[in-house]
Amino acid sequence: MKKHILSIDDEADIRELLQEALTMRGYRVSTAADAETAKRIVQQDPPDLIIMDFQIEDGDGLVLIEDIRQAGRDIPILLLTGAVFDSDVVRETIEKKVSRYLDKTASLSQIVTEVEKLLGQAPRS
Amino acid sequence: MKENIEQRVIGLFVLMLGILAFVAVSAVRNIQQSIKDSDWVNHTHAVIIDVSEVLSYLHAGDSALRNYVLTGDKRDQGAYRGAYSTMVERLDDAKALTRSGAEEAGIQLQIVGLQNLISNRIDIARSIVKAREQGGLEAARRLFLTNPDLDSMVTIERAANRLVGDENKLLTARDKAEHLQAQGTKLSVYSGVAVNFMLLAFVFWLLRDDLKARRQAAKALEDANAQLEAKVQERTAELVKANQALKQENLERRWSYQALEHQMRYNQLIINSIVEMVFVVSRALNISRVNPAVVHQTSWNPQDLVAHSIERVLQLPLETEAGAPQNPLIIAMRDGREIQEQPAVLISRSGKTTPVQYSLIPLHDQDKVVGGVVTVRPRNGASPEHQQ
Repeated sequence: MKKHILSIDDEADIRELLQEALTMRGYRVSTAADAETAKRIVQQDPPDLIIMDFQIEDGDGLVLIEDIRQAGRDIPILLLTGAVFDSDVVRETIEKKVSRYLDKTASLSQIVTEVEKLLGQAPRS
Repeated sequence: MKENIEQRVIGLFVLMLGILAFVAVSAVRNIQQSIKDSDWVNHTHAVIIDVSEVLSYLHAGDSALRNYVLTGDKRDQGAYRGAYSTMVERLDDAKALTRSGAEEAGIQLQIVGLQNLISNRIDIARSIVKAREQGGLEAARRLFLTNPDLDSMVTIERAANRLVGDENKLLTARDKAEHLQAQGTKLSVYSGVAVNFMLLAFVFWLLRDDLKARRQAAKALEDANAQLEAKVQERTAELVKANQALKQENLERRWSYQALEHQMRYNQLIINSIVEMVFVVSRALNISRVNPAVVHQTSWNPQDLVAHSIERVLQLPLETEAGAPQNPLIIAMRDGREIQEQPAVLISRSGKTTPVQYSLIPLHDQDKVVGGVVTVRPRNGASPEHQQ
């Protein structure tokens, strides 16, 4: 059965590109531009992995992560953003909340490699 | 090669057909000849029988004639007449049977000669009968004695036997000829059949050879097709792989572009939202970029400032170096050091001046300074409206 990935980003181009690249790799990909849609998908068709940005249309990515965790969902999350630059800050803050952090300037192959790693390992508690 | 074999096979079948036709014609002719010979043999035998019966009836007639002469009994007279009459009929039949054919011309002549002899014999018999009827037994006896009856009988028998002998000779000659012809026909039939069998065997050999060659060609074609198929599949797989790689590359490029564009837009948003005036300058102090705060506070449009010296909008107290006054921004960038919170004067588009503080962060690209970022903010309590 194909692994299900949810991509959350306010930019349609980014969502489409990720969906295309991951579908080519054999994953089933759902997309969401806002927190409400994302939460609905997580509720109705829980994904095996979430790829998301800080910036979403109707809220904050970190808040959405908290909401998902509070809903009791142990879904691995790959944060993909260009908003944070300081690696120390990333280590001390964001990486505690998500499974992996990647800068948006990372190549698609790097992203796919991380996705494969995350889907091959046990979900983070 | 293929056409050559086809031509050969067709040629051989035509030859076989010709041989079969020859054999058939030969056989038919032989059969016709055999029928003809059979007819001839039958009528020759009939001639021989007729001639033999002629002699029998002649003897019977003579015997009956003698009895009549001796007894005068009319029944004997009738018997002699009947025998003679039948004898003449047989002779006529024999003559009729030998009427056709050059080889029987001699026989025909002999029959004519026999007819003459028998005719004489009949004449004598008639005269004897007449003498018996008119002069009685004595007159008939005298007539008997005066005619060479015995010689006439022997002559007739000799002529008849010679005729039968000649007919038998002809029969023997015809048998020999027929036998030879049958042998010839048999030989031609056997030869034709044998040659046809050999030709058939040759055709079979040719066809087998051709079939073998065709099978080999088909096998070679099949192998070539299989190789081609394998190559096509291999090439298709390569193309699919290349296409996949190309798609991946294309996606990667689009992703890079999107990510870069996003990053630039994000950076631009950050710069545009800074309240302080920001000038990006080259090492020669030419402005390459300003933020909206500059436009807002100096009324200069970006196109009025870009590619012009920052001195157009910002007056700095000069520093003395080696006895010559020098712009402190140039010295700092040459040395690669920052300047923090130094006084300067901002000149707006209308010519108004405002006391400000400026800072410089040199832009390092690898090991060298390629320019700098100058940030400017009004000194505490000062504004362009209040300062000249």
